[in-house]
Amino acid sequence: MNTIAETRTKSLLYLENVSVSFDGFKALNSLSFVVEPGELRAIIGPNGAGKTTMMDIITGKTRPDTGTVLFEDQIDLTKKDEADIAQLGIGRKFQKPTVFESHTVWDNLELALNRDRGVFATLFYTLSPEDKARIEEILETIRLTHRKDELAANLSHGQKQWLEIGMLLAQEPKLLLVDEPVAGMTDAETIETAELLKEIAKTRSVVVVEHDMGFIRDLGVKVTCLAEGSVLAEGSIDFVSNDPKVIENYLGR
Amino acid sequence: MFIRLFSLILLILSVAVPVKAQSDPKSLIDALSKADFTEAEKLIGQIAATGDTRVVTALEAFAEGDLYFRKSDNLVFIAKAAGSNVELIDPLTGASAGAAPKNTVTKIRVNNNLRRVIRSAMGGLTLLSPDRTVRLQAADAVLRSPSPENLELVEAALAKETDGEVKARMEEARAVSVLSSNRSVDEKRAAIETIKNLGGRNALGILNSVSGSIDPSLKGDLDAAISSIESELQLWDMAQNVWYGLSLGSVLLLAAIGLAITFGVMGIINMAHGEMVMLGAYSTFVVQDAIRSNAPGLFDWSLAIALPVAFLVTGAVGFVIERGVIRFLYGRPLETLLATWGVSLILQQAIRSIFGPTNQEVGNPSWMSGSFALGGLTITWNRLWIVVFSLSIFVALLVVMKKSAYGLNMRAVTQNRRMASSMGIRTPWVDALTFALGSGIAGIAGVALSQIDNVSPNLGQSYIIDSFMVVVFGGVGNLWGTLVGALSLGVLNKFLEPSVGAVLGKILVLVLIILFIQKRPRGLFALKGRAVEA
Amino acid sequence: MITGFILRALEGKIVIAVAILLGVAILVPALNLLALPDSALHIPTYLMALMGKYLCYALLALALDLVWGYCGILSLGHGAFFALGGYAMGMYLMRQIGSRGVYGNPILPDFMVFLNWKELPWFWYGFDWFAFATVMVLFVPGLLAFVFGWFAFRSRVNGVYLSIITQAMTYALMLAFFRNDMGFGGNNGLTDFKDIIGFPVQADGTRAVLFAMSAIMLALCLVIASAIVRSKFGKVLVGVRDAESRVRFLGFRVENIKLFTFVVSAMMAGVAGALFVPQVGIINPGEFAPANSIEVVVWTAVGGRGTLIGPIIGAVLVNAGKSFFTGAFPEFWLYALGGLFIAVTLFLPRGIVGTIQHGFKARQALKAAAEAEKGRGDEETVARAVQAAE
Repeated sequence: MNTIAETRTKSLLYLENVSVSFDGFKALNSLSFVVEPGELRAIIGPNGAGKTTMMDIITGKTRPDTGTVLFEDQIDLTKKDEADIAQLGIGRKFQKPTVFESHTVWDNLELALNRDRGVFATLFYTLSPEDKARIEEILETIRLTHRKDELAANLSHGQKQWLEIGMLLAQEPKLLLVDEPVAGMTDAETIETAELLKEIAKTRSVVVVEHDMGFIRDLGVKVTCLAEGSVLAEGSIDFVSNDPKVIENYLGR
Repeated sequence: MFIRLFSLILLILSVAVPVKAQSDPKSLIDALSKADFTEAEKLIGQIAATGDTRVVTALEAFAEGDLYFRKSDNLVFIAKAAGSNVELIDPLTGASAGAAPKNTVTKIRVNNNLRRVIRSAMGGLTLLSPDRTVRLQAADAVLRSPSPENLELVEAALAKETDGEVKARMEEARAVSVLSSNRSVDEKRAAIETIKNLGGRNALGILNSVSGSIDPSLKGDLDAAISSIESELQLWDMAQNVWYGLSLGSVLLLAAIGLAITFGVMGIINMAHGEMVMLGAYSTFVVQDAIRSNAPGLFDWSLAIALPVAFLVTGAVGFVIERGVIRFLYGRPLETLLATWGVSLILQQAIRSIFGPTNQEVGNPSWMSGSFALGGLTITWNRLWIVVFSLSIFVALLVVMKKSAYGLNMRAVTQNRRMASSMGIRTPWVDALTFALGSGIAGIAGVALSQIDNVSPNLGQSYIIDSFMVVVFGGVGNLWGTLVGALSLGVLNKFLEPSVGAVLGKILVLVLIILFIQKRPRGLFALKGRAVEA
Repeated sequence: MITGFILRALEGKIVIAVAILLGVAILVPALNLLALPDSALHIPTYLMALMGKYLCYALLALALDLVWGYCGILSLGHGAFFALGGYAMGMYLMRQIGSRGVYGNPILPDFMVFLNWKELPWFWYGFDWFAFATVMVLFVPGLLAFVFGWFAFRSRVNGVYLSIITQAMTYALMLAFFRNDMGFGGNNGLTDFKDIIGFPVQADGTRAVLFAMSAIMLALCLVIASAIVRSKFGKVLVGVRDAESRVRFLGFRVENIKLFTFVVSAMMAGVAGALFVPQVGIINPGEFAPANSIEVVVWTAVGGRGTLIGPIIGAVLVNAGKSFFTGAFPEFWLYALGGLFIAVTLFLPRGIVGTIQHGFKARQALKAAAEAEKGRGDEETVARAVQAAE
């Protein structure tokens, strides 16, 4: 009990006994999961383990049937919708890269900037020097400065992934949820992405869902393995990948 | 024991009364020649009381004004004009009594009051007819217009009656007559009970009509009986509304069921769906037209012949539309909506060019005309057949979807097109056939709807919005949802109608659906989960 | 801030379009009033009225484009907003008839006298006052759009479902306005107008002013629409169209964005209806017919949705075609319209203006790419060219 109380006082994201089912199928089954401030965490697990559903619940897309979901120990995320949660400081990258394809790279970042998002504020918005500087800074970080005036539709798959990560950075979130960031990337891009995420994790918490075990090894962080809607094992990559249950359920013999 | 004895005596007396009063009907009829209106009224009662059914013809003739008496001997005859003479007929035997000059006979005058008396007297008389149907009709006549004068006759008839159904009807007729007579309170109380059990608007009318003149001690019984009948009537009204609602619901189901496939299962926004229904209705018209001019005897079979014709015609049109337009637009639902709207305009105009803009006459086969009563309900045959028909189509479709190999292919394609295609299913072929099936069913619906709606080029327009409402309300992709949606919207509509009127009722239903979709965007029977949102 | 908002609107093509519209607003009435009837330059009044009607339709199409082309909401009920604006103006015009009606009642319009009504229903109060009617022209469609959108966008009714319930909305309104006891003239609607702010509706001078007003309002709404589309809000709008959930996860309240756009669009449609009614002289429940609203969609699609000029051109072209066909081959019009629906969706999904823009940019891109190849292969130039190609 004591340990739970302790983790609660310093957690950024706190899930306890979260369950949700769709038409009888239990997507999450009393899942408990804690992320501390400044932590970079990797999540692995077989298809249907509930990884994406967990992200849906954290970002307000799906409501849990039962359970507690707290942000910064006091904000009940189950009562908020996507926009509220995004404004609280939780950013999310989708499994399939989702950027505004008919906007330029620059406009994509401008839209993502953490500014007043009201109807009239956006109607009368003009680009300030600070905002300009911030966008340029992010462009550097995601290595897209040279393509800033191109339409996002024309970017390569990997570049779209980066642009989406850049948009999350522009949001200035406290917590980033990244769903399969290196799917479809070349090896070089994968390594660069790992560097990028580690860089980002210096200033904020990041949760990465990934299948690529090499990539997770590159990250070198605490790993949580999900299966059938609950946590199977948690710990370092070596610890988790030697766990017999994990081998049985996910890695295979 | 005593009561039984009493009623036995009463029964004997009541049988005895006409016997005692019986005198020769012939002399009673002849007495009419000298009677004024008041005396005639009494005489009619006496004539009827003889219980001799032969007097019916004479009384009928009297009411018609065909009764004459011969001036020479004051004998009464039924007279028929034959040139300048009249032919005399014996009023009882019906035998001819020869011809006589017109001026030798005088007409016995009759007025409306006498006619009424005659009618009710005859009602009583035919109660004794040997023909069962006539007796039943007579009892009904007494039921409808009861009078205390008939009471004894009814009771006499009742004593002789052996047929159960007729006897029950006569019991009711007796009860009705008792109420307006000067019989004892106990007897009237029993009568009220009988009438109460009879039920219906007629009984209610009878009870209401005597409520002013009834003995005060019976007032309570009467009011209880009235309110019991009223609440029973309300129940029947409700049942009638439910029936009307189901009937409207089955029309909605017919119109929507094809759409449940094209829109619900395939996700195609087919705005030309209404026109498929319209084409089906026109197929019926063409088939009937051909039958009328070639084989009129087959007319009762016209709908059965029109069904496959309509299915094939609209199915073929649907096939062409899918291959020609829709297949290029999969994954772009809003564009499909526009293109099929264009198709619907073209089809409408084509029908208008071929058949003209006016309504076409589509006839009802004999087995679809008329109506019958079920308890307090009136049910028309065409509505009943449409309910039966729409439910059978629903069941048939369900079986095709769930049990046949084709249905399996179809569900596979809609759930995972690429997987289905790699399993060797020819997905384009399945798409085309499914759309053709949905269109064909719309065409069949058109055959049925041609029986209750105007067959004009605009027929489809009036169904399209309702059909979409039904499918969306019931839940897309769920045939059962469509069934429940159609029937519940139909019933809701008919329950709103009496209080707010037809148009406002329809508006309210639309508004309710709009609000409902806000609450549950995916309808009554929504599928849940991640797959749906993807 | 606001000047920035407006200035941003006045990008090249919009300036040209506004200039043309203002030119038309002056020239057509001038040629109608000043040129001699037998001169070649004279524009007869019937033709001016017809063109005025097209301009109102163009404004309606522009309004639809704002929600459909930019926000992805295909409304099949925009005819309802148009008709409501028209009814608001029609009610003002009815009150102006005064005692000149057939029954000579100074307060009640003819149809109310005919239906034995004793007093004016409360919702007719104030409509004798032009300013009030003008406010209502904006307010009533705006309110309906607000209430409808509030519920629909909040519960995330999307795509086809939204289209279907907007269609049900206009259908329900049509049924309602057909009822005599609604107090809007039932079947016959509102007609037999006499004058507008003291000027006779039928007079050439009044018609010329109405025409000019239509052109000016269209130009004004074009500038407003352009300002909206080119602001950051406009970019969010396109974001909602292309990737709604991304916008939501960026922290924008998508329902408010949609609601604002829907209400602005409904108000524009209301203005179009209000200008339409005095020029055609009648408004009846037929304007609510679902078919009308769908027709607006095809004007927009023909011209090119997602471009601001497109719907204007589309509305004028299709309606000119309709006038021609219904005059020359009335049998043929529905075939043509139906064919147009199919052809545009199959072969011209970008519409006329969209296709021209696309082709133009593609050629530019090719040229630029070739130059870049020749020169130092500067990545930036190629990038710009490729971007322009889209």
